[in-house]
Amino acid sequence: MAPADLLVRNTTYAQIVARGRVPDSGEVADVLRIAVAGVRDSWRRMHDAHALVLEPSGTEVLMANPFSAVPTPFRVQAAGRSWYANCAWDAFGICAALDSDGEIDTRCPDCGKSLSCQVRDRGPAGSVLLFHCLVPAAGWWDDIVFS
Amino acid sequence: MNLFRSEEHIVRWLDGRRPGQTLTAAQLCDLAHAWWGDRLDPDWRPHSREQNQAILDGLGLTSSFWTLP
Repeated sequence: MAPADLLVRNTTYAQIVARGRVPDSGEVADVLRIAVAGVRDSWRRMHDAHALVLEPSGTEVLMANPFSAVPTPFRVQAAGRSWYANCAWDAFGICAALDSDGEIDTRCPDCGKSLSCQVRDRGPAGSVLLFHCLVPAAGWWDDIVFS
Repeated sequence: MNLFRSEEHIVRWLDGRRPGQTLTAAQLCDLAHAWWGDRLDPDWRPHSREQNQAILDGLGLTSSFWTLP
Protein backbone atom coordinates (compact mmCIF):
# COMPACT_ATOMS: atom_id res chain seq x y z
CA MET A 1 0.00 0.00 0.00
CA ALA A 2 1.39 3.39 -1.02
CA PRO A 3 2.30 5.79 1.82
CA ALA A 4 -0.43 8.25 0.81
CA ASP A 5 -3.05 5.51 0.88
CA LEU A 6 -1.75 4.29 4.21
CA LEU A 7 -2.15 7.80 5.63
CA VAL A 8 -5.75 7.96 4.43
CA ARG A 9 -6.37 4.49 5.77
CA ASN A 10 -4.89 5.22 9.21
CA THR A 11 -6.75 8.53 9.42
CA THR A 12 -10.00 6.80 8.52
CA TYR A 13 -9.55 4.26 11.29
CA ALA A 14 -8.45 6.91 13.80
CA GLN A 15 -11.63 8.84 13.03
CA ILE A 16 -13.72 5.70 13.49
CA VAL A 17 -12.31 5.35 16.99
CA ALA A 18 -12.64 9.05 17.80
CA ARG A 19 -16.17 9.52 16.44
CA GLY A 20 -17.71 6.15 17.33
CA ARG A 21 -18.73 5.76 13.68
CA VAL A 22 -17.23 5.52 10.22
CA PRO A 23 -16.48 9.02 8.84
CA ASP A 24 -17.52 10.16 5.40
CA SER A 25 -15.01 11.19 2.77
CA GLY A 26 -15.44 14.89 3.53
CA GLU A 27 -14.61 14.39 7.18
CA VAL A 28 -11.42 12.50 6.39
CA ALA A 29 -10.47 15.07 3.76
CA ASP A 30 -10.92 17.85 6.33
CA VAL A 31 -8.65 16.13 8.84
CA LEU A 32 -5.96 15.58 6.21
CA ARG A 33 -6.53 18.92 4.47
CA ILE A 34 -6.74 17.24 1.09
CA ALA A 35 -9.42 17.09 -1.60
CA VAL A 36 -12.38 14.77 -1.12
CA ALA A 37 -11.48 13.15 -4.43
CA GLY A 38 -8.10 12.19 -2.99
CA VAL A 39 -9.75 10.33 -0.12
CA ARG A 40 -12.19 8.61 -2.45
CA ASP A 41 -9.38 7.56 -4.83
CA SER A 42 -7.46 6.03 -1.92
CA TRP A 43 -10.55 4.26 -0.65
CA ARG A 44 -11.17 2.85 -4.12
CA ARG A 45 -7.68 1.36 -4.23
CA MET A 46 -8.21 -0.09 -0.74
CA HIS A 47 -11.56 -1.52 -1.81
CA ASP A 48 -9.90 -3.21 -4.77
CA ALA A 49 -7.25 -4.62 -2.40
CA HIS A 50 -9.96 -5.87 0.05
CA ALA A 51 -8.68 -3.49 2.74
CA LEU A 52 -12.18 -2.00 3.12
CA VAL A 53 -15.53 -2.16 1.33
CA LEU A 54 -17.22 0.77 -0.41
CA GLU A 55 -20.94 1.36 -0.74
CA PRO A 56 -22.44 0.44 -4.12
CA SER A 57 -22.14 4.12 -5.11
CA GLY A 58 -18.37 3.65 -4.83
CA THR A 59 -17.74 6.88 -2.95
CA GLU A 60 -18.29 6.19 0.76
CA VAL A 61 -17.21 3.39 3.08
CA LEU A 62 -19.66 0.62 3.88
CA MET A 63 -17.32 -1.62 5.85
CA ALA A 64 -14.01 -0.63 7.41
CA ASN A 65 -13.62 -4.06 8.88
CA PRO A 66 -14.29 -4.88 11.62
CA PHE A 67 -16.39 -1.69 11.83
CA SER A 68 -19.62 -1.12 9.89
CA ALA A 69 -20.69 2.29 8.59
CA VAL A 70 -24.35 1.28 8.75
CA PRO A 71 -26.48 -0.18 11.54
CA THR A 72 -26.29 -3.96 11.79
CA PRO A 73 -27.56 -6.60 14.24
CA PHE A 74 -24.14 -6.48 15.96
CA ARG A 75 -23.64 -3.66 18.45
CA VAL A 76 -20.39 -3.42 20.39
CA GLN A 77 -19.72 -1.27 23.44
CA ALA A 78 -16.07 -0.89 24.31
CA ALA A 79 -13.66 1.72 25.60
CA GLY A 80 -16.51 4.08 26.45
CA ARG A 81 -18.03 4.12 22.97
CA SER A 82 -20.15 1.93 20.76
CA TRP A 83 -19.93 0.82 17.16
CA TYR A 84 -21.71 -1.47 14.73
CA ALA A 85 -19.83 -4.55 13.53
CA ASN A 86 -20.33 -6.31 10.21
CA CYS A 87 -20.80 -9.77 11.74
CA ALA A 88 -20.15 -11.77 14.91
CA TRP A 89 -16.49 -12.26 14.01
CA ASP A 90 -16.08 -8.53 13.51
CA ALA A 91 -17.93 -7.79 16.76
CA PHE A 92 -15.22 -9.61 18.67
CA GLY A 93 -12.76 -7.98 16.29
CA ILE A 94 -13.70 -4.50 17.48
CA CYS A 95 -12.76 -5.45 21.05
CA ALA A 96 -9.58 -7.02 19.66
CA ALA A 97 -8.64 -3.98 17.58
CA LEU A 98 -9.24 -1.69 20.55
CA ASP A 99 -7.56 -4.20 22.88
CA SER A 100 -10.44 -3.56 25.20
CA ASP A 101 -13.05 -5.35 27.23
CA GLY A 102 -16.52 -4.87 25.83
CA GLU A 103 -20.06 -6.07 25.41
CA ILE A 104 -21.52 -7.51 22.23
CA ASP A 105 -25.27 -7.36 21.73
CA THR A 106 -27.02 -9.19 18.93
CA ARG A 107 -29.96 -11.51 18.27
CA CYS A 108 -30.14 -15.22 17.57
CA PRO A 109 -30.98 -15.45 13.83
CA ASP A 110 -33.13 -18.49 14.57
CA CYS A 111 -35.39 -17.41 17.43
CA GLY A 112 -34.77 -13.66 17.44
CA LYS A 113 -34.02 -13.50 21.14
CA SER A 114 -31.46 -10.97 22.34
CA LEU A 115 -27.98 -12.32 22.98
CA SER A 116 -25.23 -10.61 24.89
CA CYS A 117 -21.61 -11.55 25.36
CA GLN A 118 -19.13 -9.87 27.65
CA VAL A 119 -15.51 -9.74 26.55
CA ARG A 120 -13.09 -9.71 29.46
CA ASP A 121 -9.32 -10.06 29.32
CA ARG A 122 -9.43 -11.01 25.63
CA GLY A 123 -11.97 -13.78 26.17
CA PRO A 124 -15.73 -14.29 26.32
CA ALA A 125 -16.75 -14.21 29.96
CA GLY A 126 -18.51 -17.52 30.51
CA SER A 127 -20.35 -17.40 27.21
CA VAL A 128 -21.90 -20.60 25.87
CA LEU A 129 -22.92 -18.96 22.60
CA LEU A 130 -21.89 -20.58 19.33
CA PHE A 131 -20.58 -18.95 16.16
CA HIS A 132 -21.58 -20.36 12.80
CA CYS A 133 -19.75 -19.50 9.60
CA LEU A 134 -21.88 -20.59 6.65
CA VAL A 135 -19.63 -19.68 3.71
CA PRO A 136 -16.29 -21.45 3.20
CA ALA A 137 -13.21 -19.21 3.35
CA ALA A 138 -12.62 -19.56 -0.37
CA GLY A 139 -15.88 -17.74 -1.03
CA TRP A 140 -15.83 -14.96 1.55
CA TRP A 141 -14.89 -12.21 -0.90
CA ASP A 142 -17.24 -13.45 -3.63
CA ASP A 143 -19.94 -11.57 -1.68
CA ILE A 144 -18.38 -10.09 1.45
CA VAL A 145 -21.61 -8.42 2.56
CA PHE A 146 -23.43 -11.78 2.56
CA SER A 147 -20.46 -13.61 4.09
CA MET B 1 -21.38 -15.11 10.42
CA ASN B 2 -23.76 -15.14 13.39
CA LEU B 3 -23.98 -16.01 17.05
CA PHE B 4 -26.54 -18.60 18.15
CA ARG B 5 -27.99 -19.75 21.44
CA SER B 6 -27.14 -23.40 20.80
CA GLU B 7 -26.47 -26.06 18.17
CA GLU B 8 -30.21 -26.72 18.04
CA HIS B 9 -30.81 -23.14 16.93
CA ILE B 10 -28.11 -23.42 14.24
CA VAL B 11 -29.70 -26.57 12.78
CA ARG B 12 -33.14 -24.98 12.76
CA TRP B 13 -31.80 -21.79 11.14
CA LEU B 14 -30.00 -23.78 8.45
CA ASP B 15 -33.34 -25.33 7.44
CA GLY B 16 -31.71 -28.00 5.35
CA ARG B 17 -28.90 -25.90 3.90
CA ARG B 18 -25.41 -27.34 3.91
CA PRO B 19 -23.87 -26.39 7.28
CA GLY B 20 -20.68 -24.42 7.52
CA GLN B 21 -18.42 -24.55 10.55
CA THR B 22 -19.28 -23.87 14.18
CA LEU B 23 -16.90 -22.42 16.75
CA THR B 24 -17.28 -21.70 20.44
CA ALA B 25 -17.29 -18.08 21.55
CA ALA B 26 -13.83 -18.66 23.02
CA GLN B 27 -12.50 -19.92 19.68
CA LEU B 28 -14.09 -16.98 17.88
CA CYS B 29 -12.55 -14.52 20.33
CA ASP B 30 -9.11 -16.05 19.78
CA LEU B 31 -9.63 -15.84 16.02
CA ALA B 32 -10.78 -12.22 16.23
CA HIS B 33 -7.75 -11.19 18.25
CA ALA B 34 -5.35 -12.90 15.85
CA TRP B 35 -7.13 -11.55 12.75
CA TRP B 36 -8.04 -8.01 13.85
CA GLY B 37 -5.65 -7.29 16.71
CA ASP B 38 -3.34 -5.12 14.63
CA ARG B 39 -6.07 -3.25 12.74
CA LEU B 40 -5.56 0.06 14.55
CA ASP B 41 -1.77 -0.07 14.75
CA PRO B 42 -0.12 2.92 13.04
CA ASP B 43 2.34 0.50 11.47
CA TRP B 44 -0.42 -1.75 10.12
CA ARG B 45 0.21 -3.34 6.75
CA PRO B 46 -2.21 -5.51 4.79
CA HIS B 47 -2.02 -9.17 5.75
CA SER B 48 -0.88 -11.45 2.97
CA ARG B 49 -2.93 -14.49 2.12
CA GLU B 50 -0.19 -16.58 3.72
CA GLN B 51 -0.33 -14.59 6.95
CA ASN B 52 -4.08 -14.99 7.21
CA GLN B 53 -3.90 -18.70 6.42
CA ALA B 54 -1.25 -19.07 9.14
CA ILE B 55 -3.65 -17.46 11.62
CA LEU B 56 -6.36 -19.97 10.74
CA ASP B 57 -3.95 -22.89 10.79
CA GLY B 58 -2.50 -21.77 14.12
CA LEU B 59 -5.92 -21.94 15.69
CA GLY B 60 -6.50 -25.44 14.38
CA LEU B 61 -8.82 -24.36 11.59
CA THR B 62 -7.14 -26.61 9.07
CA SER B 63 -9.99 -28.22 7.17
CA SER B 64 -10.65 -27.33 3.55
CA PHE B 65 -13.51 -25.10 4.75
CA TRP B 66 -10.92 -22.67 6.14
CA THR B 67 -8.61 -22.66 3.10
CA LEU B 68 -8.32 -19.15 1.67
CA PRO B 69 -8.31 -18.68 -2.09
